[in-house]
Amino acid sequence: MNPTLYRRALEHTIGSPQQMASRKVALERFFTHGLPTPRDEDWKYTALDFLEQMDLHAPHAAEDWASEDYPGIVMRFGNGRLTDADLRSIHAHGLADHADSPLVVRYLGRLADTLPGGAALADINSALWQDGLLLHVPVGWKASPVFVTHYASESDAMLHLRHLVVLEAGTEAVLVEHDQGTPDLPYWHNSVTEIVLGEGARLTHIKLDEDSAAATHTSLTLVGQSRDSRYHALSLLVGGRVARHDTRVNLNGSGAECQLDGLFIADARRHIDQHLHVEHAAPHTTSRQTWRGIATGRGRGIFDSRVVVQPGAQKADAQQSSRNLLLSPHAEIDVKPQLEIHADDVRCSHGATVGQLDEAQVFYLRSRGIAADTARALLLHGFAGEALGLLKNAALSDWLEPHLAAALPLLNKELTT
Amino acid sequence: MLEIRNLHVSIGDRPILAGIDLDVKAGEVHAIMGPNGSGKSTLAQVLAGREGYAVTAGSVRYLDRDLVGQDLLALAPEQRARAGIFLAFQYPLEIPGVANVQLLRSALNSVRLQRGESELDAMDFLDTVKSKLALLDMDESFLYRAVNEGFSGGEKKRNEILQMAVLEPRLAILDETDSGLDIDALKTVAHGVNALKHPERAVILVTHYQRLLNYIVPDHVHVLAGGRIVRSGDAGLALELEDRGYGWLIPESGSLEEMRP
Ligand SMILES: Nc1ncnc2c1ncn2[C@@H]1O[C@H](COP(=O)(O)OP(=O)(O)O)[C@@H](O)[C@H]1O
Ligand SMILES: [Mg+2]
Repeated sequence: MNPTLYRRALEHTIGSPQQMASRKVALERFFTHGLPTPRDEDWKYTALDFLEQMDLHAPHAAEDWASEDYPGIVMRFGNGRLTDADLRSIHAHGLADHADSPLVVRYLGRLADTLPGGAALADINSALWQDGLLLHVPVGWKASPVFVTHYASESDAMLHLRHLVVLEAGTEAVLVEHDQGTPDLPYWHNSVTEIVLGEGARLTHIKLDEDSAAATHTSLTLVGQSRDSRYHALSLLVGGRVARHDTRVNLNGSGAECQLDGLFIADARRHIDQHLHVEHAAPHTTSRQTWRGIATGRGRGIFDSRVVVQPGAQKADAQQSSRNLLLSPHAEIDVKPQLEIHADDVRCSHGATVGQLDEAQVFYLRSRGIAADTARALLLHGFAGEALGLLKNAALSDWLEPHLAAALPLLNKELTT
Repeated sequence: MLEIRNLHVSIGDRPILAGIDLDVKAGEVHAIMGPNGSGKSTLAQVLAGREGYAVTAGSVRYLDRDLVGQDLLALAPEQRARAGIFLAFQYPLEIPGVANVQLLRSALNSVRLQRGESELDAMDFLDTVKSKLALLDMDESFLYRAVNEGFSGGEKKRNEILQMAVLEPRLAILDETDSGLDIDALKTVAHGVNALKHPERAVILVTHYQRLLNYIVPDHVHVLAGGRIVRSGDAGLALELEDRGYGWLIPESGSLEEMRP
């Protein structure tokens, strides 16, 4: 480990004396572990030590850039900093500007700094973040969809975005995180999103990762759910050279429900490691997972999902489904579904498969006049759509659809080589 | 329209069809009957172009405007479909995530392009499909369900007929589309097939039971047993089979009782 590079980056952060003190504490916590290595059970498949071979540094400049049009409020970030805030925004703000507000002081780090066993990537983010989103919806409001769009354009930059979402009781919001970068540029994007859902609050959370093919993207999403709240996450992960996405949901109040859906595509040489962890900590809680994975070329995918039903979480209902497609002989997918049940009156199930496109289905479509390539593309699209189709919001689906279509591997090429 | 000559087909090194000869002319309806395992589906699948079957001898010629005398077996499945051949599967496949309407539209446009017609836009396509739904007494919600996923047996069979009605093939091969249908569904299927009848089209009905033939009257009935056509006749043959079973047609076979339809 090279502490100097992180200490130097710390000099690029700003904040009140209290904030600076807590950043230093977080940095010392990080130094006790350093970056995760394959010796850590949870990081068996994904090494990050190569990051320290890079000329890692805090980003110098935050340039504004021209983003696509989004159907909602847009908060545009460049190289880790807010570059353009939507003037119409009522509930979405830059986190740095509000770092001293009582709400932020109260909630920031509450989930990330108290992870059991610590989490090095959360610690380094807590020490080095420069900006991010604050989405706060007070009682009585329904927020417009918020699009947080980030573009990385600086080589070897460390981009520690930090987002905080607080939905008070009975409120509703849609949050979309869209990450991109200069094609083939190497950088390290390490984001942490903390989400606090009050009683009966509902959040739809979409993540579209289109980071550069040379980027490393690590992300941690932490969700704390009160009674009767509902969290629906939908991820389309199709970017980066090395990607590791962790989602951890605590169902703390009875009647709380989470639905974690997504699709990853590991093509070319992408390595993508997806970890979900749900804690049923209260009775009558529900979790649903529908994930699809596609690996092609020399891609490598990992799907690791852990559902824990704590003692006392009676009537918990947990279902996991993970289906995966291997489209080339050099691609690989590892699936690790785990159920840990410490209560007796529960309904839990999981199903995980890794296979190939079904040639009988291909024949069925061809027998209707559909060309072989088109048939395979339809099947692949249908396969992907099984997870993405669970989004019940037409405007968001319409926005996501072309991104999905662009990301699906071209089968005629893949299958003949 | 279709000329099958001395067709031999094996799966692995096991012979399944042992010399089929069959002539189907435009305007005709042929019924192929026979005990389970006699090779009826194998014949149907080979005609549609399914891989995994070895044609060890014989030929199949499909006499269509565009494909005069061409060897059908050399064509890819999609080329056969575009040339007007349609197979209603005995066991239609479920395709999660792909809506019926996507399959129908993609298929119809491929077939239309082949016929030198333009692709239909979304509105015209929906009009076409809705008229076919009405013909088959099917609800519009069918269109937006994933292909055959969670369909009942009868719904799957109807869905095959819907695809056939939309694609308007020149040669329709129906593999046991009648099995598992109640009488109303059977009539609907028969109605769909009869609506397709045309002097330039032909139908091959693979069936286990004669009851479908009460509604679609065949010009010729063939009995397939042990990989060969052992008897051909007119519609009367189907009635005779209904009475007598298949045993009397297969003298060398040992256990004939189970072969009654
Ligand atoms: N994929 C296959 N692999 C091995 N044997 C098969 C396969 N498909 C069919 N068969 C065998 O071929 C014979 C004919 O089957 P099939 O054509 O389905 O008969 P039918 O439709 O007349 O009931 C049967 O003995 C069956 O077991
Ligand atoms: Mg059969």
